[in-house]
Amino acid sequence: MQRTEFTPEEGWRNIHTTLAQAQSSLYLAGTEYILLLWGALVSVSLFTIFAIAELAPGFASDYQWYLGPLWGVFVATGMVGSALIGRHASSRNADHATARKAGLRVFAFWIAVTAAAFLIPGAAGLWSEGGAENIPHVAIGIVCLGYVLFGIMHRPALAVVGVGMAAAFYIPTYLGGDIGALGTGAGMLAVTVLGAVWIHRSGQP
Amino acid sequence: MTGEDIFLDETIHQPARLRVMTMLVAQPEDGRLAYGFIQKTLGLTGGNLTTHLRKLEDAGYLVISKEFINSKPRTWVQATAEGRIAFTVYLSNLEKALNWPPST
Repeated sequence: MQRTEFTPEEGWRNIHTTLAQAQSSLYLAGTEYILLLWGALVSVSLFTIFAIAELAPGFASDYQWYLGPLWGVFVATGMVGSALIGRHASSRNADHATARKAGLRVFAFWIAVTAAAFLIPGAAGLWSEGGAENIPHVAIGIVCLGYVLFGIMHRPALAVVGVGMAAAFYIPTYLGGDIGALGTGAGMLAVTVLGAVWIHRSGQP
Repeated sequence: MTGEDIFLDETIHQPARLRVMTMLVAQPEDGRLAYGFIQKTLGLTGGNLTTHLRKLEDAGYLVISKEFINSKPRTWVQATAEGRIAFTVYLSNLEKALNWPPST
């Protein structure tokens, strides 16, 4: 056996570490932009809710179900946007089957999160006139959980951002009274922008 | 056979080159990885990575190609059939080295 400082044991470990790292890097491609997209969508939707409540309070109280379709549009946009961004970013790192596989996995992950964000409020009986206003509380919680789980699996910084998003959403919502939606929207935007900058600067793809 | 006879290909048995080859052979046979992606994933400097890629390319283990996508240059790296075989042999020998001496 050749005498080198690089031992077979180190070589074996290197192979396994590299495989895991490369796989995670492919799945994380475009993460900061996906994060920004979700932050922007949630903020815009919350600003919209605030504006409707302020400008058309009658409509907001008489047609509370409007929150369902409103969130549906935003969440569906986020899902499709995430898939497109993930696919595009993957294709810059690898070609053919590798990029397609990574893109599909990320897409499947967000499909599952989105489906949960739709179905769990339904299962909890919130798809009703009285419960509709609580749909965002559950849906955003599930999206934040998605970030935390994805972060635990692939990159801890994302888990921290997920916790930050949850804090930015829930704290103003419960403490802010009438301007809760406004504070939440601003908080979510700030957290996602800071998170995206952090992820981008930390250097990994 | 003795432990001295187990040959670990020096071109591959080096931390950075082993990691590069691992990334490349994990791709489908026609799969290529972007130079920038390899560099960021492995945390190597451009000069360092280029040196190691050149050594692997000289051995015939990989090919480097350049193309323009939307007017932007992109460098792709792909393992050759020879590189895949060399890596398979390396893995087999690495396994032998790890299990040396064989248990009776």
